[in-house]
Amino acid sequence: MTSYSQGENAYNSNTFGKSLSLRVDGGFNAVSISPSGRDVVLASRQGLFIVDLDDPFSAPRWLHHLTSWEVADVQWSPHPSKSSWVVSTSNQKALVWNLSKSSSNAVEHVLHGHFRAITDINFHPQHPEILATCSIDAYVHSWDMRSPKRAYYSASVWSAGASQVKWNYQNPNVMASAHANDIYIWDLRKGCTPLHVLKGHANNVNSIDFSRTSETEIMTSANDGTVKFWDYSKSFQEPQRTVVTDFPVAKGRYLPFGKGFCVMPLVGGNNSVYLSSSVTEGEPGAMSKFQPIYVFKGHNDRVSDFLWRVRHSTDTNVDDREFQLVTWSKDNDLRLWPVNETTYDKVDFQRFQPVDHPPVNHEYRTFRQEPLESQSLPSFAHYPREHFVTNSGFEDSHDKNKINHLAWVSGVRMHHADSPRSLFDLDKLQNLGEEVSMIGHKFPKVIFEKISVSTGTLTLTLCGPWSEQNPEDFVFLRIETVFPPNYPRKSAPRFKIEENRELDSSRIKEITEQLQEIARGYTNLGKYCLEPCLRFLLGEKINLDTLQEEEQLLNLDVVDYLGLNDLSSLESSDMRSGAISEESRTSDENEEDLDNKSSNDGFVSHSAQTLEIDSTPIPKGCGATWAPSGKLVCFFTLEGKSDKKQQSMLRLGQRGPTSLKVKNTPEQLYDEKTEVASRRPKRYVETLSASSAHNSETGVSGSDTDSDTSSDSFGDDWDDIMRTDITLRTKMPMLSNFGRSLASAPSDDGKSNVSPPKAKNVVYVHDYSHLIADRRQLAVDYKFTGESLEAVCKHNAQVADSNGLEDIAHCWRMVGNLLIDREERYNANFGWHHTARGDKWFVKEAMNYFERSKNVQMLAMFSCILMNPSLEKLTRGTGRSSLGEKNVITFECDDQSNFSRSRHQSVTSSLRSEDYFSPHHSSVRPLRSRLSNSHTPSEIVGQHSFLPDIKIEILNNDGLDYMDGKALALLDPADEPKYRSYRYQYAELLFYWGLLINRAELLQFNNTNEHFPPELWHHSSSCELDTCGETNYTGVSYKTLENDSDFLTTRICNFCELQVSGRGFVCGNCQHIMHAHCAKLWWEQSDECSSGCGCRCIEMFDVV
Amino acid sequence: MATISNAHSELIHDAVLDYYGKRLATCSSDKTIKIFEIENDIHKLVETLYGHEGPVWQVDWAHPKFGVILASCSYDGKVLIWKEENGRWTQIAVHAAHSASVNSVKWAPHEYGPFLLAASSDGKVSIVEFKENGTTAPVVLDAHAIGVNTASWASAALQDGSSTLQERRFVTGGADNLVKVWKYSPEANTYLVQDTLEGHSDWVRDVAWSPSVLLRSYLASVSQDRTCIIWTQENNQGPWKKTLLKDDKFPDVLWRASWSLSGNILAISGGDNKVTLWKENLEGKWESAGEVEQ
Repeated sequence: MTSYSQGENAYNSNTFGKSLSLRVDGGFNAVSISPSGRDVVLASRQGLFIVDLDDPFSAPRWLHHLTSWEVADVQWSPHPSKSSWVVSTSNQKALVWNLSKSSSNAVEHVLHGHFRAITDINFHPQHPEILATCSIDAYVHSWDMRSPKRAYYSASVWSAGASQVKWNYQNPNVMASAHANDIYIWDLRKGCTPLHVLKGHANNVNSIDFSRTSETEIMTSANDGTVKFWDYSKSFQEPQRTVVTDFPVAKGRYLPFGKGFCVMPLVGGNNSVYLSSSVTEGEPGAMSKFQPIYVFKGHNDRVSDFLWRVRHSTDTNVDDREFQLVTWSKDNDLRLWPVNETTYDKVDFQRFQPVDHPPVNHEYRTFRQEPLESQSLPSFAHYPREHFVTNSGFEDSHDKNKINHLAWVSGVRMHHADSPRSLFDLDKLQNLGEEVSMIGHKFPKVIFEKISVSTGTLTLTLCGPWSEQNPEDFVFLRIETVFPPNYPRKSAPRFKIEENRELDSSRIKEITEQLQEIARGYTNLGKYCLEPCLRFLLGEKINLDTLQEEEQLLNLDVVDYLGLNDLSSLESSDMRSGAISEESRTSDENEEDLDNKSSNDGFVSHSAQTLEIDSTPIPKGCGATWAPSGKLVCFFTLEGKSDKKQQSMLRLGQRGPTSLKVKNTPEQLYDEKTEVASRRPKRYVETLSASSAHNSETGVSGSDTDSDTSSDSFGDDWDDIMRTDITLRTKMPMLSNFGRSLASAPSDDGKSNVSPPKAKNVVYVHDYSHLIADRRQLAVDYKFTGESLEAVCKHNAQVADSNGLEDIAHCWRMVGNLLIDREERYNANFGWHHTARGDKWFVKEAMNYFERSKNVQMLAMFSCILMNPSLEKLTRGTGRSSLGEKNVITFECDDQSNFSRSRHQSVTSSLRSEDYFSPHHSSVRPLRSRLSNSHTPSEIVGQHSFLPDIKIEILNNDGLDYMDGKALALLDPADEPKYRSYRYQYAELLFYWGLLINRAELLQFNNTNEHFPPELWHHSSSCELDTCGETNYTGVSYKTLENDSDFLTTRICNFCELQVSGRGFVCGNCQHIMHAHCAKLWWEQSDECSSGCGCRCIEMFDVV
Repeated sequence: MATISNAHSELIHDAVLDYYGKRLATCSSDKTIKIFEIENDIHKLVETLYGHEGPVWQVDWAHPKFGVILASCSYDGKVLIWKEENGRWTQIAVHAAHSASVNSVKWAPHEYGPFLLAASSDGKVSIVEFKENGTTAPVVLDAHAIGVNTASWASAALQDGSSTLQERRFVTGGADNLVKVWKYSPEANTYLVQDTLEGHSDWVRDVAWSPSVLLRSYLASVSQDRTCIIWTQENNQGPWKKTLLKDDKFPDVLWRASWSLSGNILAISGGDNKVTLWKENLEGKWESAGEVEQ
């Protein structure tokens, strides 16, 4: 083992013998460790993760294999010759991965023989090529990887599916499998008749394990809470010993050292792993209470599996093995636990004793890195199709699948074993990795291009105000930082700023020197210096003098943070992937698989989410929205008091295993402080601050959300709540966790069979159209036009009456009378009638009234009806003046206004009467002539010429209008745009009501306006939202491991190694295939199978 | 009166009837959107839309001339656009310009075309135009420093038809306690702050622009400070006049304000789980028009 370079040795490992916690989100279910102890493989529905335990800060390698089935088991080959092999399950298939191949093409074999889900895999302890699988189809298969198409040994217990299969360590022909309550011992030489059946457990057996030292000893653990130790050479009726625990046992295994065993509860048992000694031998058949000698406690959810990481020196004959426990739990933490000497003693493990068979040496290497392309040998000839599929899938998903390195780093917690502080409630930075992860989240604009904690190098980019021309400008900087190994204790990192077009070298030098100075200032005090350095680079002043007094340097105060927040937006990818990972995790738990598609991003650490100031306000639980129809949609919560709801929501936000652990991280302090900064009186504060009230709530809200974890975790939550500032709560800064908690909702639904569903919300649709002045019924019957306006008004009055609207009806009648009156007056045709202004006053008041009462309907109706009279009168007038001609004119409303407006303008702009009238002439004449061919403009215009000079200040346009021979406009023409918009709005209403004909009638009044595009309504009707091209579904096209890729390999002639496409012979027994002509050649010489499997095909299958 | 109980397994955050009052869209913390068909008092769940990865805060129906289209916004920072065709709902577009929770989404008055306004806790509002060729042209504006809680379009003011599109205005309310009125500037080809309205002493939770095109513009803003302010502006220009809807404070924080179609009635709801209705009397004073019974 001389080829090991520095660091490539288990004794150089910086994690062995230490506590380590790695957060790996993404619903991983199974775990296994490489025999060298360097790598850990985690398996989930998204594939495999290879984590290098010696460099936990590096992002793991991800081998994609998207599947909808939970991975039941993953096993790393324990043999040095196959150290890159990992087997994982995928429902009824087992996948053999070769990690030395590129990730896109790493599946070496697919073992497909079971027809239901595989539950366990076990490598043969002696033969590297052999492994056994068992499945709930009740079969146990043994496979030879040299011939992976078919299991070479099969046995079945017809009665029950198998949960575990294990090889005997001593006897290579013996294996055991657990089926329901019984354990079957098989001997391969005896075919499918079991050697022994061990009956004794009262419930399902979850785990079996052969003794490493004694051939016939086996321990079994079951749901009945017992662990039984058997020796089937002595008795297969009775166990030698039974240990009773107070929890159902998920896994129970002999220790790889000394005399002891380890058990892991299925539920309960404080989510711990228990180590017990079996030194004390009792009477055969004795029952004893479980007495653990060591408890590995710390996980927040049940432990999924435990493993032993081992190291030993390579060249001695003494047993100097050291062990470290690796646990993987449902709480998404991978933890490493040191084992201390006293534990070794207790289980009678004497280290440094000479041994006869030194343990096998494994090359201490990691498979985390993607192998170089040259190393992988894609076998085009054999896997043409598969290669194509996976390659494209890999390319596609390359960016998407990049694990968020920063998030990964922040999920790592390392701790020295001998440190007095306990591992998992850290409030101070422990190492560079943690510093980087915290900084990374604190400065979202700083981009970490490269993080290599193990070598202590960082490459980061940011924009700082270092421009020489303009201090406002930001200059892009790329900085390489190298940290010495004993950083931060008295050794400052070195900074190197990359050459930059915008900065000359002297400036760079200057910045670098200042950076070094800051770094030295901090590291001389043993403090982490990255944050002040970054703040300096971002343009802040760093005062090294006050350094001593500063207590918590790493807590930025609120002002700083807010300032930063202003110029830097929060990074979106973080948040989205956070949501995704939450989603994927919960969907795992719920088995309510809505979306496999979202589970691409496995990783994001919880702290990444809680770091940001989330200014999302409290969700609205109650509200009302109006529909155009006059219906009011209201939604309410049904928890009675909003206070309650507030609290339970808050608790949702605070809860969750992730939030518990980080309760002391400085990040949370930001949230608090921000809230303090914006301190305002709030009503909820008082209700929330009453702790008793809150406590009394817990029962209620707990039942509201039926979450299993809630009761356990609440105590801690509560501490959090009490510690944080009270105002924090009203705005739910922790909403990021909220999402996940809520996501468990579907499962609540599922549970509703058990407990009666509790009403949570309700939507009402109220009809409040009676409160709204605009009525559809009126619109249906109203008329705009008729033989005479008076008749129209009368009709409309009746309509209003029949709808019980007396005031409206009255109004119509008034207008009607007014119009009749005017008609008469007009016929008398005398100018200065004093009631003229009275009419106008009335109309104005009426309009005013309807404006105030916001009766668009009446406003629009009046604006139509009252626009008419002047025009109609005018037409009549002209009709009279030129007898015998027909009134075919359609008048345009706007002429009126233009006309009058022009006069107004002239009034204000000129003083002389000649001037005053002159624009009038010019403007009116063409209009008239255009509008009416039956009309002689000179009549009207002529009248003006008789006018005397009138003093400007007493000009009365209305009067003049009247004298023009036109009817006085009842509506102020200057307001015509307003009326037009009323009509338009009413037209909208009519459209809502589906009264399209009425609407068309109405719009006639508007549409004659040249300013008004007649296609207003339809101009963009073709702008359908059709943005299908935009949708960016980002699902990963994943590697399809269809049968037919497997099938292809089976279609290869065993004689000439070419694919069989035409005629071929398949042996019915061994299923090996040959071309017809090859078979003929072969069987002339031999009657055994050409594959060398030993099958006598000719005898087995009558091919001739 | 149609009643729908427990449509969602979590809090409902919005419920909106479509243009014709036939379909109801609700959204909830359970990350789903549900579409109901409402016929008189009978309702039928026709679809549940999955796609958001966080609580869905608000939904809004587009004008029917664009098709049956719904926009939704969520805590996951995305706005999703859904479309129904032949009874099938599909997600046709994603607007992911925001980096934090999107709290509000609103379609512009149909006269403007398919414009969407989204307000986010990242402090920005975005205006997206879904163009005919399938492209979008999002305009993202920094609006309120700590977060934008709400945004609402002004109704299409038809003062002069030709400049309708140029008159686009909207209003935003944010966590800086301010209400800002924005107007499209054709010269700058973006939206500029026209007025900044100060009056609230806590987060503004909702602003609603009265849909009426009466000469006076009405804005209702509700806030965590338990007040509702009616802002009025004459002739779409000049200063905004501030009127408290109610002189004393509401019993609890206010969350939502909604105008009826012609601006007759204002519906206010808040943390006390009550919906109150308000109307302006002839003297220009605001008076209660009732309370909605649960």
